[in-house]
Amino acid sequence: MSLVNYATREITCKIVYYGPGRSGKTTNLHYIYGQVPQERKGKMVSLATQTDRTLFFDFLPLDLGTISGFTTKFQLYTVPGQVYYQTTRKLVLQGADGVVFVADSQRRQLEENVESFQDLHANLAEHGVDARAVPLVLQYNKQDLPRDLIVGADELEDTLNFRGVPHFAADALHGPGVFETLRGISELVLKRLSAPSTAAAGAGAGGR
Amino acid sequence: MSVAVVEGWVEEPLRQFVEDARVLLALLLQPSGQVLAQHGFSRSVDVMSACALAAAIHASSAELGRQLDGRPFAVLHHAGRSRQIFLAPVQTTRGALVCLAVFDAVTSLGLVQLYFAELQARLAKAAAAAAPDAKGPVLAGNFEFELNRNLAVLFGRG
Repeated sequence: MSLVNYATREITCKIVYYGPGRSGKTTNLHYIYGQVPQERKGKMVSLATQTDRTLFFDFLPLDLGTISGFTTKFQLYTVPGQVYYQTTRKLVLQGADGVVFVADSQRRQLEENVESFQDLHANLAEHGVDARAVPLVLQYNKQDLPRDLIVGADELEDTLNFRGVPHFAADALHGPGVFETLRGISELVLKRLSAPSTAAAGAGAGGR
Repeated sequence: MSVAVVEGWVEEPLRQFVEDARVLLALLLQPSGQVLAQHGFSRSVDVMSACALAAAIHASSAELGRQLDGRPFAVLHHAGRSRQIFLAPVQTTRGALVCLAVFDAVTSLGLVQLYFAELQARLAKAAAAAAPDAKGPVLAGNFEFELNRNLAVLFGRG
């Protein structure tokens, strides 16, 4: 659950970009970092290998400004996509208020998308979280590649989106779809804070 | 002694810890990386980065401990050339927390450990006495307009 500070009227939410290796999770954060004015973002922290593959996570704090009288801050994380970083993915996922699943639209990556999506659900379950209750959006990235190399959004929908969550076609390298994806997950996460049953979380959520 | 807190119940225990242990920087955070209280940081964004990294160190060392020894490493200490880091979990009835303290030669690891034990006890007591979390909606039902406007400004589309 998002962290709410009633004294200073601040909300902080953790959003995790999840998906298979090289699907474009870090590229999403780099694009966002490049677009947002200096005074509204913190340093982007990347724990990466020497070849710039995500080793642990990327982290980007954003100030979304005031919403309903609360200063709203988002902390964007990515997970390492490669299969053998299973443990670190699970650690980064801990306490996520929302998840963006970044799928690679390349036809040859279809199986990796499915495996990563199953991995996401397994890791949520290991944290004791009902995957159906977590705000989730899908991003079908690399839709700018030649048609014969990629799977269309409709086919990716059939393969991945059995929950019928919001989805966005994207080209994270150049920007299309990145903003829409962030807006989509922001809406879902903040909607939970406008629900009548909301319990404003403090340290009680820390053990998630 | 300046301590900034998200939840009031952690303020006095952390303030006392900072004063007694004479640490330069101190953070109390959730294991997911969200800050609950801090002392000594100048910019909120630096606090967030520090929390993300501290949570990662804590989570990864705990997991390494589990895999090597069947149980997590509880406390982590790293001695740098002039500054040292102390990182340890705290259990309370309001959930698990992680404490990060950065200190120099003004104090010592032994003193930090000693006063950390007191911090644990004070936090346990304060958690038990703290008011329950507020219930009910935080945001107005029509928050989408402000969200869309703010995001558009953020991305230069306003």
